[in-house]
Amino acid sequence: MTQSAVDFIIDYLLAKRPDLTSIDLDLDLIENRILDSLGFVNFLYVVEEHTGTEISLDDVTPEDFRTVRSIAKRFFDGADVG
Amino acid sequence: MTATVLDSAERLKDILDRLVAKSEADYYNPYQLFQWPDTLPQEQYWMSPELMSVHGTEVGAELTEEQLHKLSKWESVNFYSLNVHGIRELITEVIARIHTKEFKLTSEYFHHIIGEENEHMWFFARFCNQYGGKIYPDLTFKFDQASTDGPAAHFLVFARLLLFEEIVDFFNKRMGEDERLDPTIRKVNAIHHQDESRHVAFGRQIVSLLWKDLAAKSDESELEAVRAYLKAYLRRSLESLVNPAAFRDAGIPEPYKARNRVLADPAHADLDRAILKRSVKFLVAEGILLTESIDA
Ligand SMILES: [Fe+2]
Ligand SMILES: [Fe+2]
Repeated sequence: MTQSAVDFIIDYLLAKRPDLTSIDLDLDLIENRILDSLGFVNFLYVVEEHTGTEISLDDVTPEDFRTVRSIAKRFFDGADVG
Repeated sequence: MTATVLDSAERLKDILDRLVAKSEADYYNPYQLFQWPDTLPQEQYWMSPELMSVHGTEVGAELTEEQLHKLSKWESVNFYSLNVHGIRELITEVIARIHTKEFKLTSEYFHHIIGEENEHMWFFARFCNQYGGKIYPDLTFKFDQASTDGPAAHFLVFARLLLFEEIVDFFNKRMGEDERLDPTIRKVNAIHHQDESRHVAFGRQIVSLLWKDLAAKSDESELEAVRAYLKAYLRRSLESLVNPAAFRDAGIPEPYKARNRVLADPAHADLDRAILKRSVKFLVAEGILLTESIDA
């Protein structure tokens, strides 16, 4: 499921940013404004729907959303992203 | 300096005097104003059905009357929860500016806004906790700490405050006089509408002045960035009225899919347009937005 999770995250983010052609696993999503405060909730819902688990913001930090790798690790069973 | 912009505005001074006087005259004790019955009847609408996110949509057509009643309860709790969080965030910004040099002229009035918003936050929170057993959590995540100083930051704080208040007031005005709703629900909305008519009057004045200040000091690309942010803020504000957690609490299966279907439904877009109508007209008339579209 992990590789598909990574693809799924990247596809979602790329759809939001048509100016980009690819997103590296370690690209800083926050610095590069691929994730921002106003767009965050919709991404959160997408992750919740995909994982079937509600995410409480009390349990997460901005660092969890910094890169595709950190998102996959934290919210999906991110074994094969290292 | 913003000091000059606000200080030189004769019209603003008159309006502030009038609003402060009106605030004093309208003053009430919110802690004694409401009856707060232990429970509210469940088998009826808690929100005007025309104001529910699903109104006129395919998703709405698939729901029974009982499900609609349930959803109206949770969507109203979501609406009041958004008020609680929106007020907390925005009065923090007003407090950060009160009795600073740039906002000397408006500080007296800020005391009234801060006091009244504190009370609004109290009755909205009380409603959520007493009749919903919870406040829906705030899902805005602060990645990009914007600067709190300078003409763009000042403008955006008061623009967001005004737009937030106008969106909320669209609901309060209608629900405050909707005979189908329980008297407690009507009263919460009617009382808020009464206070907010003053806040909106002030908001339009200060937003207009702060925009002129910002426009005089910024180049076109900076103004474009502010416009893009405001439009994103409006889209986000409207989307937050459609909460998958409210669908889940109403027992609607696949709440995220239901939300996406509602957001894509033309009937829902009609509601959004109605909610924003007077706000975008104002923004365009002031030159803040160039067109009435809030699309990215
Ligand atoms: Fe308020
Ligand atoms: Fe207000």
